[in-house]
Amino acid sequence: MALLQTVNLTKRFGDFRAVNSVNFTVNQGEFLSLVGSNGAGKTTLVNLISAQLWPDTGQVLFEGRDITQATVFQRIRAGIARSFQLVNLFDRLTVLDNVSLAIFSREGKARNLATLAEGDREVRTEAMDVLGLFGLDTKRRLLAGGLAQGERKLLDVAVAYALRPKILFLDEPTSGVGTRDKAQIMDTISAVVRAGTVTAVVIEHDMDIVFKYSDRIVVMHEGAFLADGLPAEIRVNKEVATVLLGAAVPG
Amino acid sequence: MEILAIQILNSLFYASVLFLIAAGLSLIFGVMNIVNLAHGSLYALGAYITAWLIGRAIAGGSGASAIWLFLLMPIGALAVALVGAVIEPTLLRPLYRRAEEYQLLVTFGLLLILEDVMRFVWGGLPLTADTVVDALPIVRILGQLYPAYNLVVIGIGGIAALGLWAFVYRTRFGVMLRATSQDRRMASALGLDVGRVYILAFAIGCFMAGLGGAIVVPSQAAVLGMGVDALVLAFVVVVVGGLGSLKGALVGALIVSFVRTAGIQFFPEVELAVLYLIAGIVLLVRPTGLFGTA
Repeated sequence: MALLQTVNLTKRFGDFRAVNSVNFTVNQGEFLSLVGSNGAGKTTLVNLISAQLWPDTGQVLFEGRDITQATVFQRIRAGIARSFQLVNLFDRLTVLDNVSLAIFSREGKARNLATLAEGDREVRTEAMDVLGLFGLDTKRRLLAGGLAQGERKLLDVAVAYALRPKILFLDEPTSGVGTRDKAQIMDTISAVVRAGTVTAVVIEHDMDIVFKYSDRIVVMHEGAFLADGLPAEIRVNKEVATVLLGAAVPG
Repeated sequence: MEILAIQILNSLFYASVLFLIAAGLSLIFGVMNIVNLAHGSLYALGAYITAWLIGRAIAGGSGASAIWLFLLMPIGALAVALVGAVIEPTLLRPLYRRAEEYQLLVTFGLLLILEDVMRFVWGGLPLTADTVVDALPIVRILGQLYPAYNLVVIGIGGIAALGLWAFVYRTRFGVMLRATSQDRRMASALGLDVGRVYILAFAIGCFMAGLGGAIVVPSQAAVLGMGVDALVLAFVVVVVGGLGSLKGALVGALIVSFVRTAGIQFFPEVELAVLYLIAGIVLLVRPTGLFGTA
């Protein structure tokens, strides 16, 4: 059974169909890349799935349940998390607090608010584990605003990961960072997916990275799916090459 | 020398009360980005409710031991917090998306309503609670007589400052509070319950103001207009210290109190003018205040 499925999902902005009757399927445990030129509807699709936007028509099914009407909070509780295209960190909080917040959020209202953050062993241990996974444990006391760009991107993913989602959407996790940081970010994400703890859907422009890490690639164009297949299939797809190449050349 | 010691104590007494008011004002602004013009009236409400409770307790003759009366102060403050917990979701929440003028209009309207409610309920005569001050001894400090109650107020101010700091910087809720104040949209995208953070932050701010009123009323009776006076001074405090900063509220309260105490002693005619002058200079040199961020 598919972990996540959209049924004829549509979102219009005025006359523009940003997402046009999309049937998207994500399988348990895969590393899926969502590619396409700017304005192809990738981010809109992810926004619809994570409840940042509401669809005009269509449904979102998660583990077979219809979650089309569920709020952000309910979807996080269900196991859907995402990072944003622009880094979404609390710059004036420490690295550790940024991750702890995700854990608080996941636990919801049940826990005592006046708990001393420092004495909060469980949360601290868990936050440190997550930071360790992303190689940020030595930076825990720094303010998030003081990190280098690559580290910020990693922390951003770490925060989304700390929500312990079943499915993790990452919107351009490597944009604006150098080649070495890119590899580290993707290696880390790929490692957690391979460890079987999470399914990942990554929006990415760098095709070298897409081909290297993905189990499956979905290509979007003008709000709809152009192609869906294994990296080897997508690599030789002429139509995809035209669309992606066309996007790479301005004008 | 003896006079100086007493003046320092007086300044600290005054700073404790001002800090409680300004810290609440600053906290509410820091989290909700709302300048609460009714904040001084909430402080006055705390004073009235506490004085009324103390008056009832004494009239009831329930032993009226001093300890009992002291317990009525946090109850007065809690009552104000409760009022805050009603005001935020009903009056303020619909306005966060509107322009600032609307927020100012609503909180100013609330100020007028609260002032009239207090006039209606308690009338125009001052409401006193000096039994509490009399319940404690007069102590001798460097040969000068000084009411022990004032020392208690200074202690409460210090504890409140520490407590609020610990709450904001050391607790789980504090982390959520600071996150929400930095970026509301992001906090809610992460799945935090922003509405609950707002209501609690506003109630805590009101509690601080109410506590300020509760501890001041035994030594200075509750009178109409005390809220507006306090609001003006609290604004001077946050202008000097920086709106939205706890450290700023503390330092600002100390500066304003010491200047004012010195002013009453040495230049009573222009005492308030000097405070505004300081606020004006800070605004010119450092528009965000000493500890404010842009």
